[in-house]
Amino acid sequence: METNPRPCIAVEGLTGCAGELLVILENLDKLLPFVRVASFPFAQSQNDDGPVDIAFVEGSVSQPHDLEKLKRIRAKARWLVAVGNCAVWGCVQGGACAKCKVTDMLEAVYGQHSEIQALESRPLDAYVNVDVKLSGCPIDKTQFLSVTASLLKDHLPYITHKPVCLECKLNENPCVLIEKNLPCLGPVTAAGCGALCPSLGAACYGCWGPSQAPQMDAMATILSEKGYEALEIMNRLKTFGAPEHLFERMNV
Amino acid sequence: MRTFCLLVLPNDTLEDIFVCNGCVGSYGSILKMSRNFLLPKSRFCEFFNYLKGLGKFFAPVRVSEQSFSFKEIENEGEIAWDALRTILPPKKFFYPQRETVLKYDRNEVEATVPEDNFQVIFGVHPCDLAGLGIMDTIFEAAPGDTHYTKRREQSLVIGLSCMPDKYCFCQSMGTSCPTKGYDLFLTDLGDAFFVQVETARAEQMLAGCNGLFSPVSENDKDSYKEFWIERDKAFTNGFEPDNLRSTLDMEWDNPLWDELGKRCLSCGNCTPVCPTCYCFDLVDIANLNGQSGERQREWDSCQFVGFAQVAGDYNFRPTPVDRLKFWYRHKLHGFDDPYGFKTCVGCGRCTVSCPSGIDDIVDVVKRLQGNNEQPNK
Repeated sequence: METNPRPCIAVEGLTGCAGELLVILENLDKLLPFVRVASFPFAQSQNDDGPVDIAFVEGSVSQPHDLEKLKRIRAKARWLVAVGNCAVWGCVQGGACAKCKVTDMLEAVYGQHSEIQALESRPLDAYVNVDVKLSGCPIDKTQFLSVTASLLKDHLPYITHKPVCLECKLNENPCVLIEKNLPCLGPVTAAGCGALCPSLGAACYGCWGPSQAPQMDAMATILSEKGYEALEIMNRLKTFGAPEHLFERMNV
Repeated sequence: MRTFCLLVLPNDTLEDIFVCNGCVGSYGSILKMSRNFLLPKSRFCEFFNYLKGLGKFFAPVRVSEQSFSFKEIENEGEIAWDALRTILPPKKFFYPQRETVLKYDRNEVEATVPEDNFQVIFGVHPCDLAGLGIMDTIFEAAPGDTHYTKRREQSLVIGLSCMPDKYCFCQSMGTSCPTKGYDLFLTDLGDAFFVQVETARAEQMLAGCNGLFSPVSENDKDSYKEFWIERDKAFTNGFEPDNLRSTLDMEWDNPLWDELGKRCLSCGNCTPVCPTCYCFDLVDIANLNGQSGERQREWDSCQFVGFAQVAGDYNFRPTPVDRLKFWYRHKLHGFDDPYGFKTCVGCGRCTVSCPSGIDDIVDVVKRLQGNNEQPNK
């Protein structure tokens, strides 16, 4: 027995691409001097189900066993951190797929009378209390380490949701929305990626989820003035799980 | 305030104006009178190489079809002579987008100090020089920002004349002629530059390359005056500035603000591109060991909803209308008391950087003034 046991963490995945798990795995060497990894099924075969100080959970709740797992994790974790767009917003399976009924999709893909069970895909906070939401697609490693450092000191981390435009301007990129008329969602998308796509001349497609108080109606107006169709605009805005209440001021 | 603008000071002879324009920012002691030389363009390459030998050389370079950026360059061919406005103004050289201001551990806090790096910032137009002058006032105000001051002290700023485009309105803001913020100013006379040396520091620097310059002839002076007269005539954008203050006070509740606010994305693009926006956020980045970390500052924007959010989730500028109106007022009126100047320098960056087209300051001011003619852009 260690006299001063290191804080325990768990890293778990629900329905997602495992992108967050990879980022965490790639940076695990930096964490290992300070934490004990109680559970990380993606990366280790010996896992225990005991209480942990921090649980990082990736993926959205899309199947009944996701929900059971999430509730188990919530019950054993002091801090529950939703990592990645899937866990924070529901991502593509929550946004783009929300246009169809889940039963229709299930039947189209698996046929009638399939034994597959599916739920409408939802972010973690639809079911449990989430202490920290760290979005990203995938998450940024510096933010991840910084959030972990704060939680290890029992501080709630400071995560801003300023728009991608800020990082884009700080990088002094030419604006692709203005100069190339690309349907860039930088103005309404949370920063943290370092304005990756616009820095390479491409439009931001919103994969980090909405910025704080995004002006969706103004964004739609500007894109429609550039000639984009209303349906295309809404599809773009909603693809990564932006919740319905953000569109209340719009007639959609 | 003395300027070499030819439109003002009707009682002064032009000769008087030339010898009196010693009102410059506070970096580098100011010469009693500016000294003038001629630099033939055929010798610019040697001039460039000489300055390049002093430190890093930054100048506007083209980064896209429409945009320019101040970047470090290795040869003079990279200079974009047609650059009117860069994406970010030269404030970034003294007040960088992100920087570490202190490091801490369990026992002590150590303020960081910018590196010793001499730099030449070349090709700064009058609006941006005015912007630097304003930033000097702000960052020098007690207790003073040591990071800004140190970087400013180790930089040589070389101004360059320009001809306005349809977005420039420095003339309306009183910043169309350089009065501060620079060491040297170059006026393009076609085959030569008319060089005005403003600071003792510039004078010292140039001691090493005196052979490149020739004395200014009467003819050169005439060309110089002609250039600035022509430039004054070249402005197509602007407004009558005299009633700006009373207009902004009177029109605080004008429905125009709601109209603009509805289109505002709150993307914040208008503030990093502004030569005088100085707001920042401070963030402590803790190390995983729980024993040490550093404090970083990064440019922030009053257009973000979180900017005015305080404890208890209260927000004193909760809507885009509130924030946009605040910014306009701050730029056009906020510094009247006690500083007595406007913090808009008329560079037009916000106008060209706003995806919604609501930062057309000239259009907005004209509409507030009751002038509803169509914008000329």
